[in-house]
Amino acid sequence: MRTGASIGRSLGPKLWDDFFKGSRLACARLITLVENFPESVPEIRDKLIPRQKGAIRVGITGPPGVGKSTVTAALARRAVKAGHTVGIIAVDPTSPFTGGAFLGDRVRMQSLIGDPHIFIRSMASRDGHGGLSPSTPYVADVFDAFGMDRIFIETVGVGQAELDVLTCADLIVLVLQPATGDIIQALKAGIIEAADLLLINKSDLSGTESLLESFRFLFEISARPKAIAAPPVLTASALHNKGLDEVYKEVEQLIHGHVESGRIREKKRLRLEGEMKSSVLQDLWGRFSALTNAPEEMRTAAEDLLKNGRSPYPFIRNLCARITMEIRDERTNRKDHG
Amino acid sequence: MADKKIKIIIAKPGLDGHDRGAKVVARALVEAGMEVVYLGLRQTPESIVNAALEEDADVVGLSILSGAHMTHFKRVKELMDKNGLGDRLLTGGGIIPTKDQDKLKELGVGKVFGPGDDLQAIVDYIRTWRGSGGA
Repeated sequence: MRTGASIGRSLGPKLWDDFFKGSRLACARLITLVENFPESVPEIRDKLIPRQKGAIRVGITGPPGVGKSTVTAALARRAVKAGHTVGIIAVDPTSPFTGGAFLGDRVRMQSLIGDPHIFIRSMASRDGHGGLSPSTPYVADVFDAFGMDRIFIETVGVGQAELDVLTCADLIVLVLQPATGDIIQALKAGIIEAADLLLINKSDLSGTESLLESFRFLFEISARPKAIAAPPVLTASALHNKGLDEVYKEVEQLIHGHVESGRIREKKRLRLEGEMKSSVLQDLWGRFSALTNAPEEMRTAAEDLLKNGRSPYPFIRNLCARITMEIRDERTNRKDHG
Repeated sequence: MADKKIKIIIAKPGLDGHDRGAKVVARALVEAGMEVVYLGLRQTPESIVNAALEEDADVVGLSILSGAHMTHFKRVKELMDKNGLGDRLLTGGGIIPTKDQDKLKELGVGKVFGPGDDLQAIVDYIRTWRGSGGA
């Protein structure tokens, strides 16, 4: 049954066959594998990436309770109407205390259920602390290879600096609501700078005009190069289904513009470079740790440094110097034995 | 796969509008470290099984207080089997007479819980089901 031993089997030719034939169950299972078995990710992505057609990945982010799920559902519905096939990844937080998660985004997406052009997957944020789960980008890869051409990635409710969404979205919609902060909040660095579109949801509530005014002021005083346009600021009331046609239209226009200008390609390239860098770092650290007892040494050193009130830099320099030596020796040894 | 999180759907099928019990159970499962996909009120068997499929859930839990448990459990079980989810656990709770519990068991439904049952018993039941490798 669904036990550890069956994983090797479940990633067999049958699953791939079903997946490429369009089986939704196979798609769901592949996502589970990506989510639960990081070690299987390279093998899976090797197969997925050549089949991808470059789906546009739209990140929907913003503070808790502003209506991200409702907005996501509204955009997904319009995308399907326009002929797109949609994947939705809805991330909710994992409890750092119990490891459990209450995934409630589907409650706001009722109207989409049963549509064969939409696939919704809820995810717990698990070890991710920047608004997504570490495996979120790979789940988007699964959707892309499955044939979805619009992927909406809804983050957990974020504050100012949770920017994981940058690591997997081609376009970022920041959803806000009135009466959550003044111009001083808007001036702060972080999530607002990442947004390609700002959406003030719940525009039926008072305070919408003053928030709009804050953003107008913010972008007016911005020193960004003239060539880069300020992100559009739109208002909507998702609950009352007001203003969302305009939001969807703007999203599609931005996608079109960013594809034409090469900006999306540039983002994809930067993400790929970032991924390579972090994989190499991880691998180097893994190899170094395997060759030495560096983690143990670090622990002893940290205790020592704390006790004697010393700076850590001499130890760090020494460790880095050894990385070069150890890995060179490893290569020499391999040649000798190989 | 011992460390894989248990993913469970909690839903209320039909028009029964009392979801306090479902929320209490969902909360207990979250506190036990599980990942609960909460669907809430007024679900159809189709919408529940569709969610179970897309989420690749291990367990589907239905909360039914309306008396329509025989109809809903039967339909959900049929749809689960039809959609390749026959190896997942279908369980639940509500006001379900003992004689019906036996009938549900015959349909392939797992243990169902009722008023006064210990929340820990529900957690343990699901863990034991998973630990034994499933149904």
